[in-house]
Amino acid sequence: MTPIFEAKGIQKAFPGVMALKGVTLSLLPGSVHALLGENGAGKSTLIKVITGVHQPTAGTLLLDGQQAQFHNPRDAIAKGIGVVHQERNLFPRFSVAENIFLEQIGSSYLTPVDYARLNREARRWLDALELDIDPATPVSELSVARMQLVEIAKALSLQSRVLLLDEPTASLTTSETDRLFQIVRRLRDDGTSLVFVSHKLEEVQEICDRVTVLRDGANACDSRSMEGVTRHDLVQMMIGRAEGEGAWRARDTSAQPEVLGLSGVSTELGHRDVSLSVRKGEIVGLYGLVGAGRTELAKSILGQSAVTGGEVRVDGKPVRIRSVFEAIHTHGLGYVSEDRKTEGLILQHSVLANAGVPIWRKLGGALGTLTDGKIRDAVLPYLRKLEVKTPSLAQTAANLSGGNQQKISVAKWLAAGVRLLIVDEPSVGIDIKTKAYLHELLRELADNGTSILLITSDLPEMIAVADRIVVMDGYRVTGELPNTGEYDSVSRAVMDRIHDMGEVG
Amino acid sequence: MTLQDATYSSGTDDSPLGPRTGLSRSRFFLSNEFGLILLIAIFAIIFGFATKGFFSPFNLFALGRNSAVNIMIGLSMMSVIVTGGLNLAVGAMGVCAAMVCGWMIESLGIPWPLAIAGGLAFGALLGWINGWTVVRTGLHSFIITLATMSIFFGVMIFLTKAEAFRELPPVFTEFGRARVLGYVSPLLLVTLVVAVLLAWLYRGTVLGREMLAAGASPAAAELSGIRVGRMVILCHMLSGALAGIAALMLVARNGAAIPSMAGQLGQDWLLPAFLGPVLGGTLLQGGKVSVLGTVLGAFLVTMLTSGLLMLQIGAFWVQSFLGLMLLVAVLLDKARRSYLARRNLA
Repeated sequence: MTPIFEAKGIQKAFPGVMALKGVTLSLLPGSVHALLGENGAGKSTLIKVITGVHQPTAGTLLLDGQQAQFHNPRDAIAKGIGVVHQERNLFPRFSVAENIFLEQIGSSYLTPVDYARLNREARRWLDALELDIDPATPVSELSVARMQLVEIAKALSLQSRVLLLDEPTASLTTSETDRLFQIVRRLRDDGTSLVFVSHKLEEVQEICDRVTVLRDGANACDSRSMEGVTRHDLVQMMIGRAEGEGAWRARDTSAQPEVLGLSGVSTELGHRDVSLSVRKGEIVGLYGLVGAGRTELAKSILGQSAVTGGEVRVDGKPVRIRSVFEAIHTHGLGYVSEDRKTEGLILQHSVLANAGVPIWRKLGGALGTLTDGKIRDAVLPYLRKLEVKTPSLAQTAANLSGGNQQKISVAKWLAAGVRLLIVDEPSVGIDIKTKAYLHELLRELADNGTSILLITSDLPEMIAVADRIVVMDGYRVTGELPNTGEYDSVSRAVMDRIHDMGEVG
Repeated sequence: MTLQDATYSSGTDDSPLGPRTGLSRSRFFLSNEFGLILLIAIFAIIFGFATKGFFSPFNLFALGRNSAVNIMIGLSMMSVIVTGGLNLAVGAMGVCAAMVCGWMIESLGIPWPLAIAGGLAFGALLGWINGWTVVRTGLHSFIITLATMSIFFGVMIFLTKAEAFRELPPVFTEFGRARVLGYVSPLLLVTLVVAVLLAWLYRGTVLGREMLAAGASPAAAELSGIRVGRMVILCHMLSGALAGIAALMLVARNGAAIPSMAGQLGQDWLLPAFLGPVLGGTLLQGGKVSVLGTVLGAFLVTMLTSGLLMLQIGAFWVQSFLGLMLLVAVLLDKARRSYLARRNLA
């Protein structure tokens, strides 16, 4: 079969960095091609070259065997190359239909927009995704997952021959992912060539038939068939060595005292009768689908939303936590947010400033004086321990990679010496090596006596790290089970807990 | 790239927050502060040649006295811009604070040092009203301070019947007229002391850092244990007190507390209030300030006004010129920042 699209010897240099060092990729029609690599391996740069955002420094792009040049994203779209970017590219105040047909609307300034037709057309693409949304709804009213699906509908409407999906499932639930995969398969059978970028190798193995792996800006493998390629092989190609052993291990904390306990807690956000308990040095996993109310529960525990009923205990004593300030400074609770960029870090401030925020008060002298030197002494050991890679402590946090940002948002709580750390979706957008490291770190923290409440939708991650798993659905706790580290049995048991509830409710 | 100890400790000189004094040399030449110093030097030379008596002791004295007030107004605005907000009521609050001070002296017979403290406390109280309302309603400070500007000023005019307090102790006028070393106004010294204290606040104290963090990213700051609402209120209170100082300086210059000394509704202060911080490179989105830049920016504006007036250019042209300057400053800053961002990509 002849490739529909080829990239040959693509090089891309940025000032001071060679992001791509001669990468090759060839896409066949009617196939789903996995593009894998750790953060910083060059995936995003390659996608930007293919879609006309960046011009390659060297190398050629071939479309149907003909040399092609894309001067800008419009060029690429016109030649049938569509992309769903990792970042949202929708206009929140515009309607779903307007967003889907943005390019067409803009094509002539004076013709009035025929909204009836626009909505009708949009309906078609939404139906194709079995999305029950009124096309006239402003995008800002949709959930994050639905926004993602609208972006996919937009890409579909361009009827691209090559469609790149950059981490399309990052914010989707299992059932939404399944639906997306049905559509991907249908497009594939219609002859579209799809490129699928994801950190979730389970999904890659499920949906992709060919694979290209990048490492350090070069091919670790070039457009080979997925047949006979195991997860182990993929990881090895991505990180250049075998996956670290020492995943889950049994830890017994049953003799330890309780650090945080909830009994029959209800909140103003809608939680009902939530009970759970975390012992000293224990890792309790809080599993559930997106929208199960886990992050909301965490924020209620921290005092950002009000607890309206039941009892919250810290060290066995009933407490009322009225603000995050109290949670941190009085009770020693910390929270690593799932949303690093807006809630976890102050992006425009330096690494040093970010790592020190929770301990400023503790470090402050008389009159609240505080010097950089004092903060540095307090946080540096933790930044070193977590191997944060930054040119200097004065570097702006926004300029670091996702993995390094995440390390900083963990380091600041280590420096603060919290007794219980709520960790919310710690490995979203983080590469495998950092992820394995993070898991090891969580276990080490727990071994040293810190209690951890781990919120994640990544079941393999949950089973690799947690001692005990509490399952949530619809703002209630639907079950609790010990983790044995056996993926098959535990995952089935967890799914049953969610499923049961679904049948009852 | 793995981290070496050397690269970590090289962060020592760089300030992560606040006034950008510790930047590396190449970045200093790209900084606003350097640009302002250059502009001040250039215009000083031009005015020195083009006008008669620009460098006369009297003019230098007047320049110092005027810039003392303008810098203080800029600092007052800056302390709210830190939160990503703004304070349109600077003028109204300042005048109210000065009128309270005058009333305490004249009608209550309170000694002047206490009355000054009372006036400043009243300015902070008005700031508390602004901050509390902003935090409670969640509305932008633009609309809140637009409303309170009218309320404060209106109530003040009603209570004072638009009459000035003229029977102030001579110490005010003496302070306004005094000269240190022949041509430096003590008002300017007061302003510089306040500026140094503010620079220390943002760089060297927990409070200042928490204000900056709350301004840069309220959500992240809140989840890191900063009481963001309280910080916003404190920033507004600081702004009110600084506006009070600026107005009391005008009282020292005029020898009386006059309701109209900042124009109708205090609007005469608005342009200088924004010019200082914006020229100085304070980020309007909040979270980053430059005290030195604000001082230099406000000084440049005062110098230009004075020089242009000495060149006998009509006062209305000077107003247009200042407006144009605000626009150009914002555009230049935008260009400069995107240039730095592009270079940072490496």
